[in-house]
Amino acid sequence: MYTNTIKTLRQIIHEIRCTKPQGSLKDNSFIRYLFDQYRIFNTTDQQVCKAKDEVLFTANAYLCYLRSSRMQQQIHDQYHGKGERSVKETANIVGFKLPHDPK
Amino acid sequence: MAHVLKTLQMLYTGTTYNISKRFYAVRKRFYRKTGILFSDGKYEITLDQRKLKTPKGNLFVVNSEPLALAVAAEWDAQQDIIKQSNMHLNTLCNTAIDNPNNLTKYDMVNYILNYLDTDLILFQSHENDELYQLQVAEWDPIIQWFCDQFQADLQKSRSMDSPVISSETKAVVYRQLMSYNLECVHGYVYAIDTLKSVILAMACVERFLTPERAALLSRLEEEFQLQKWGRVEWAHDLNQQDQQARVSATILYIYFNSTSWLKNSKTTV
Repeated sequence: MYTNTIKTLRQIIHEIRCTKPQGSLKDNSFIRYLFDQYRIFNTTDQQVCKAKDEVLFTANAYLCYLRSSRMQQQIHDQYHGKGERSVKETANIVGFKLPHDPK
Repeated sequence: MAHVLKTLQMLYTGTTYNISKRFYAVRKRFYRKTGILFSDGKYEITLDQRKLKTPKGNLFVVNSEPLALAVAAEWDAQQDIIKQSNMHLNTLCNTAIDNPNNLTKYDMVNYILNYLDTDLILFQSHENDELYQLQVAEWDPIIQWFCDQFQADLQKSRSMDSPVISSETKAVVYRQLMSYNLECVHGYVYAIDTLKSVILAMACVERFLTPERAALLSRLEEEFQLQKWGRVEWAHDLNQQDQQARVSATILYIYFNSTSWLKNSKTTV
């Protein structure tokens, strides 16, 4: 169980890092909140506690949200039509070169 | 003539021709930092110094701190252009705050109860036995869970006739839904429209199913057909990820609006 929770935390941080390629996450209020919650529920980890599963479930749902949104955006960016292709792009698709391109 | 030649040359060289031209207005990211504010027992979102507002111009306020933080994180995750269509948590909050259709809780609960008659997982295939077996294996445990949870009796259907749902079952579901607040019922409607199933949505909110699993079960027939006809990334994968994102956002939304465990635990620890 313990490894599961840590894994989820690491993956959430990974997803947040993906959205912010540059810059430090140290002063990110969301990450701070996340760590606070993990510390709070750390103490109740081993007790019989309904909230325990709830917290993990919620963390996993959030992870799913972040990851699915990112994947969806990635697929969209890759395949979304961008209007008419330029002559050069069309030539590239069929493996031709333009007259003035180097051989 | 010179103009035409120039255009042709532009097309030919492809250097100045803008192929990623968009024909609708996009908003550039106009803020650097996002944050949340606590005032009058509610949370607001700030984009630099500005307060976030809803499309109707109301002030954006939510009751739950994690929800506010998640929405702030959504805004913070935008790159150069703000893509509001992908910010599902923000959309849900906006809908609940603005309530553009002026829906009451009774309206929405009635809508959900009517939806139960045409619930996805109560209609099972009568043409393809292989698919039917898959549906029995995957969907029937969820129907069983629902019956146990709410002491209900649900009959599934294998024809065009809609299954008969007793008024007792509807009364139980009615009571269950009415115990939630308005925001949560908004969330439920969104989840049900996404999953096409009241039962799957309730199983997901009650933590019997993860959002991924609920989305998979909702797309069961599609997945079954994919095994035979092949998978296309830009249609099926896109659809799957979109649905997962929507479902998980709704689950978070309902959860944050229906419980106060985070606050309680802070005071007790």
